[in-house]
Amino acid sequence: MEQVAVMFEAEKGEAVIEACKLGDRDAFRLLFERHKDRVYSVALYFFGGDEALAADVTQQVFLKLFTRIGQYHGEAEFTTWLYRLTTNACIDEQRKRRRFLQFGEDAEVGEMPERGTQEDAVQRGETAASVGRAVAALKPKLRVVMLLKYFEELSYEEIAAALGCSKGTVASRLNRGHKILARKLGHLRGSLVRAGHES
Amino acid sequence: MFGTHVKKDLSAYAHGELAPERSQRVCEHLRSCAACREEYEEMKLGIRLAECLPQAEAPAALWDGIEAGLARDAFKGKADETKARRAGFRFPALSWRAGLSFATVLLLAGAGWLYYRATRPAWEVASIEGEASIAGRVGERGRLGVGQWLETGPDARARVEVANIGQVEVEENTRIRLVETRLTEHRLELERGTLHARIYAPPRLFFVDTPSAVAADLGCAYTLEVDDAGRGLLHVTSGWVALEKGERESVVPAGAACLTKPGAGPGTPFFEDAPEEFTDALTRLDFEGGGREALEAVLSSSRPRDTLTLWHLLARVGEADRGRVYERLASLAPPPEGVTRERITSLDADALAAWKEQLEITWSSESFPKLRRTLRKLLK
Repeated sequence: MEQVAVMFEAEKGEAVIEACKLGDRDAFRLLFERHKDRVYSVALYFFGGDEALAADVTQQVFLKLFTRIGQYHGEAEFTTWLYRLTTNACIDEQRKRRRFLQFGEDAEVGEMPERGTQEDAVQRGETAASVGRAVAALKPKLRVVMLLKYFEELSYEEIAAALGCSKGTVASRLNRGHKILARKLGHLRGSLVRAGHES
Repeated sequence: MFGTHVKKDLSAYAHGELAPERSQRVCEHLRSCAACREEYEEMKLGIRLAECLPQAEAPAALWDGIEAGLARDAFKGKADETKARRAGFRFPALSWRAGLSFATVLLLAGAGWLYYRATRPAWEVASIEGEASIAGRVGERGRLGVGQWLETGPDARARVEVANIGQVEVEENTRIRLVETRLTEHRLELERGTLHARIYAPPRLFFVDTPSAVAADLGCAYTLEVDDAGRGLLHVTSGWVALEKGERESVVPAGAACLTKPGAGPGTPFFEDAPEEFTDALTRLDFEGGGREALEAVLSSSRPRDTLTLWHLLARVGEADRGRVYERLASLAPPPEGVTRERITSLDADALAAWKEQLEITWSSESFPKLRRTLRKLLK
């Protein structure tokens, strides 16, 4: 049943992409609505919680996507193509900024801002907020892999295709990312158990 | 031995990304190697933490910037195209001035077309539950353009922003179409299903067409239902709504309802707390040819509050029965000075309006949801 749903979704997705190629503005909007939160989330965590910059990069990504959608011929998964655009946009933007700000790749990024009301924060969970801050503080090349894995649920092969690297590199970066999170946030193990995350 | 450790494979192993043979080898190794086991536990904790990563919500205003960017790109594309065409084709008879004018006209036409595309009227639609389809395309958000249909299936509900004058919530299994939206009129068609409208605008700016009547907003909130046979039920929760078909009009205040039927138009409005005997007789009178028997049942079971129904009946019954309605109405709420039986039975418009104006004060009410359910049964 789940497979049928996936196939149906894929079929709808193809129809939307075809409509976009014909310049259908409503189809653009549909595609945007379907992917905007994930693209924005990747950009937001990539830039350490800078909401304005994440919004700017998200706009760039979709503009590029819509103006180049004619070049997408379905050789790769659409999401792979989209997240290649996203990661490239993030990296390009960071390069531009580095020229001016002299920040190295290894520089620690700022803390993720606490967003929303205290009530919201409680709802989202302190754990989730702490993880968000820890991911935002990872080195960019580790951060991107983590974001693609956990927001997009891409396979190692898809991440490798999106980043233009090998599957082995993806595995190695995820290993390092997981280890850093575990070491930084080991004290949250108890809250994960309470929240039912314990396997 | 160091060569046999599997630390570099642990994330891939946990994510099921290893080939079966490799995965089996890692599994066996973990049983016998405490160091790798310890590292695996750490990796699993890292994975569980990463799985908690909260997804952020993109700001709603992002799309506006993208649309503006698309319009700019399209404009630039048009300009480049025009330039390329000019470069590849000679206009032997055109001077440079004429060519420039021609290019300007093309650019202005392109800009005009882009402006039209960018500003063509459409209403924002957002899903409340499930997914709605607009013009056959399914999604959680979208824009409903003039002439387009919005449809919700089972377990799906959507909210539509009515230009800048209010909202309409569309219930499941509903099909609506945006007929018109301009400064002086906003009009929807409700083919079937249920919508809840809340409008903050001067009267007669928002209309809903149904198969059996048109609901004209008079500054209000209401629910409108249409069944598969095209029959409708209007239930007003705030303000007033007029139901119209041809020359027949029913003015429905808050707390009141009105049935509609194809071919018959709007029935006579009634308060939802009216006795069942009253509403049953009214349905027979309006839609089932109930005649004098039904009229008598309506009159005899009417309460002071039911002057809403009786006033509407004055113009709907035949001349022979109008006197009976006048008498019952006058006994419940005597007419104002100067409004006589003769003037009312001859349907003098001024006299009818004067009496209505006096009665309207007593017609404001709250809604009665339980009775609304009973009314739905009447539709079946």
